Amino acid sequence: MRLPPFLYLAPRTEKEAVEMLSRYRGKVGIVAGGTDMVNRLRQRLVSPAYVMSLKGVEHFRGIESRKGCIVISAGTTLREVGESEAVSGTFTALAEAAGLVAAPPIRNVATIGGNLLQNTRCLFYNQSELVRRAASPCLKEGGETCVAVKGGRRCSSVYQGDMAPPLIAFGAEAVLRKASGRRRVPVADLFSGDGRHPFAIEEDELLTEIRLPLPKGTFASSYRKLRMRSGLDYPLASSAIFLSLSKKGVIDRARLVIGAAGPAPLSVTGGAALLTGVRPEEADPEGAAGQAFREAGAIDNLLLPGAYRRKMVKVVARRAVEAALVGLRGVGA
Amino acid sequence: MRGKAEKRSISLSVNGQVFAVSTYAHRTLLEVLREDLGLTGAKESCGEGACGTCTVLLDGLPVRSCLLLAVEAEGKAITTIEGLASGPRLHPLQDAFVEHHAIQCGFCTPGMILTAKALLDRTPHPTEEEIRRALSGNICRCTGYAKIVEAVKAASQVEP
Repeated sequence: MRLPPFLYLAPRTEKEAVEMLSRYRGKVGIVAGGTDMVNRLRQRLVSPAYVMSLKGVEHFRGIESRKGCIVISAGTTLREVGESEAVSGTFTALAEAAGLVAAPPIRNVATIGGNLLQNTRCLFYNQSELVRRAASPCLKEGGETCVAVKGGRRCSSVYQGDMAPPLIAFGAEAVLRKASGRRRVPVADLFSGDGRHPFAIEEDELLTEIRLPLPKGTFASSYRKLRMRSGLDYPLASSAIFLSLSKKGVIDRARLVIGAAGPAPLSVTGGAALLTGVRPEEADPEGAAGQAFREAGAIDNLLLPGAYRRKMVKVVARRAVEAALVGLRGVGA
Repeated sequence: MRGKAEKRSISLSVNGQVFAVSTYAHRTLLEVLREDLGLTGAKESCGEGACGTCTVLLDGLPVRSCLLLAVEAEGKAITTIEGLASGPRLHPLQDAFVEHHAIQCGFCTPGMILTAKALLDRTPHPTEEEIRRALSGNICRCTGYAKIVEAVKAASQVEP
């Protein structure tokens, strides 16, 4: 299947890029690595008049340590994120997640920004035009009702990015730039929760950086995911956890996030609360994972049934928590 | 108002040779390699980045040429399977694939060999686990992978 024709934009600077987004507002598809967008173009899920490539944008790639944080430019490839010592030395869950995205050749070009802002997916939506035409258009395609939940009025397409859960667990912020200025928002707030339009980002805004605050003291993190083939594939259930210890050896901060269980990654606050205020050896991973199970929303719209995926959310959450608890003990807590 | 897509003149460096190509921006590198340059070693199978038969090396790293716009490959060193042999002499990986019967229908072979080359260039003596991990994005429906892993291991033991 060929790609639809488009006009190609190749800005050299961020300033040029945001000016183009402003000038052609709503008509631009953005390609960073292209591994997601090219397929969306091919399946005619989008047919933008313009495609803007970020490959040639200066200073759009790289990982930098700054005061109190590390900054990952949005065009940094997942391979670079996964292999960076600045990342793996501190942000274990993020390095683990980067190393588990798709397959190695995809990670050589796919970027952290593209992964974070990948659109939600659904078995009934991510199909060729031919297959989609066999049914009435779903909500995400601009139709009146959901195809996965017959007659449903809410789009339950699934956010399957691997980067978002660990980024949220680490309290990361995204830097969004547009022609008139820039703003910093917590990564969790990038998501609208609506499967049709999953991001709370303006059409003329460009994600330029991700800022990860350096955790203090003793901490550990982990990421686990379920997928059909361990060599490829999007997560069908995923979980990231961040834990830190007080000087008294008690867990004083826990952030548990699950992915692939709805149109946005979900912070499992109930699960995190269960892990807080106890010593690592007294923590209850099963209980925290049970909260993840209760909060996960999953319907039959991916390769595995929703009921099974919810059960697996519990499994990956428990494994992530257990790995982070081992990590806490491993650093002499 | 949708403007009319225009052809762009680009130069692609493929297997050490520079080609001037005039192409639309919506064409993939795979299409240009196969249709404009006659380099049919890279194959299209799934056409969505899942299988790895379209693998080429971009600055030494394996990438999916079906997911890459040709215009995005300008300025990069592209290596296809056609660029591996030196005249009649096959690359040690190609020899090893023949020797170890790592080829059946052959459709995945260019992608497998290029991915393995990128691995051996970075890690000359990989463990079996490293080989399997590196090849994890390339699908073979014939061999069951064992012969392919054996071939890569054997090639890693050949002194250049």
